[in-house]
Amino acid sequence: MIELRSDALHFRFPEVHDDAMLRIDFQRTLRIPDDGTVYPLPAGLGRFPLRHVDDFGESVPPSWNAHGGVMMPMYQSEALWLAFESDYPCALKIAAGKIDAVTGEPYRPGLHRGPQDYVTSAQPWLDGFCVGKGMIRQFVAMPLGAGYSAEEQLTGAAEHGGLQLHVYPLKAEHYESIDHGSIGRSRMMRRVSSPSANEMGLAPGGMMRQEIYQDRRPLDHYDLDHGSRCFVHLANSLVWRGITGEAPPTTPFTAEDYARAGIPWFDYYADGEAAVPGSKVLAALKSVAALAKEKGQVREGRF
Amino acid sequence: MARDFGTYVRRRREALQATRDDCSVRQVAQRIGVEPSYLSKVERGETPPPSEARIVALAQELDEDPDVLLALAGKVSSDLQAVIRRRPELFATLIRELKRLPDHAVLRLVREVRDGHW
Repeated sequence: MIELRSDALHFRFPEVHDDAMLRIDFQRTLRIPDDGTVYPLPAGLGRFPLRHVDDFGESVPPSWNAHGGVMMPMYQSEALWLAFESDYPCALKIAAGKIDAVTGEPYRPGLHRGPQDYVTSAQPWLDGFCVGKGMIRQFVAMPLGAGYSAEEQLTGAAEHGGLQLHVYPLKAEHYESIDHGSIGRSRMMRRVSSPSANEMGLAPGGMMRQEIYQDRRPLDHYDLDHGSRCFVHLANSLVWRGITGEAPPTTPFTAEDYARAGIPWFDYYADGEAAVPGSKVLAALKSVAALAKEKGQVREGRF
Repeated sequence: MARDFGTYVRRRREALQATRDDCSVRQVAQRIGVEPSYLSKVERGETPPPSEARIVALAQELDEDPDVLLALAGKVSSDLQAVIRRRPELFATLIRELKRLPDHAVLRLVREVRDGHW
C-alpha cells in the first residue's frame, strides 16, 4: 500500500512485515549546466508538491485517471532527484516514460539482472538516468512531445510521460535473518533547503557523478508477490494551476541565484559499494543541450 | 483548557531547554513573534492560548504536532475546518463513527494512492 503524506510517498507492506516501509520524496533542485562537464550532486531546494490524481478527476486528462497515482508540478527549468529512506531492504524500479532509468530498456515488472534494472533501498538518492559506471544524466523536465524526453528519443513516441515507481520488499524470512546491527547504513547527509506545453517528460540533462549500487542479494530474496507501484504525473506549472486552482510552486532558482545563495554542491562518496556499469542505451541518448543545438533552437540563459 | 495548554507547552519547552539551551521563554517568544511576558502568562494559564498561526509556530519550535497543540487549545486548524465545510454531512458522520474506535483501528484507516492501468 502507498500513502501520500507531507508530499512524500510511503510504501508499506504490512502483509510482508511490520517493518517493511520505504519513503520516497521528490526534491526540487537546480538544473546543472548541460555543458559536458561532470558536476557534483546539487542540493535539494524543497519537496515537489504531490497530490492524488483522484482529487482532481474532473480536470486531469483521461489517461491520468486511468493511470491513477499522484501528480506534481514541474517547471522546465527545474530538475528532480529522488530521496529514499528505509531501514527495510527493498528493490525499487524507476522508469521515466516507462523507460527504465537504470538500463534504458522498456519498463517491465519484476526484477532482473544482467543488467540490473533496479536500485536498492541502500541507495540514498537518485538524480537521473544512469549512463555509465558512476555517471548519470540529471532528470530534467521537458514538454512531452518536443522530442527531448528519454521516452521519445528511444521509442519515437510521447505516449506515457511521467515517472513510474515499483517497489518490492525483501521477503520477511530474509529480513529476520539479517544481523540488524550490521546493516544499518550510515545515513548520508545531503543538504536540503527550504523552498524559497502540458504534460512533461523527463529528459537527460547535465552529467554528474553518482553510483547505482550493485545488488548482491539473490533476486529470489525479494517478495515479488507483494510489489507496489505508483505513476507520478508531471504537469507544467500553468497546467497545474488550471487543474488544482493552486498557485504553482516558487519560481525555481537559476544557477546565478544558486551561486548567490552560497548553497554548496555535494560530492557523493560510496565507500565499499560496487556500482553497476551503466546503460549503453541511455549513454547514447542526446542531452537536452545537444538536441537543442541540433534543432537550431536558441536557448536563453545557461540552460 | 488554557491551563492544560499552558502546562503542556511549559513542560515541553523546559524539556527542550534542558537539552538544547535555546528554549528559554524569552528565546521561544522571540522566535514566534510574541512578548516573553505574554508567553509566560500563556504557560501559566493566565491568558487564553494564542492564535492558530502562533500555535502552529509554537508547535514548530517545540517539535510538536500542530494539531495536537491546537486541540489542547480548543481549536481546529483552519484547513481541517475547510475540509469539513466542503462536505459537512460526510465528515460529521465519519468523525462520529470513528469517535469510539480504538487507536489501532483508526491507524489502519489510511488513504491509499490508487494504482491504475499503465
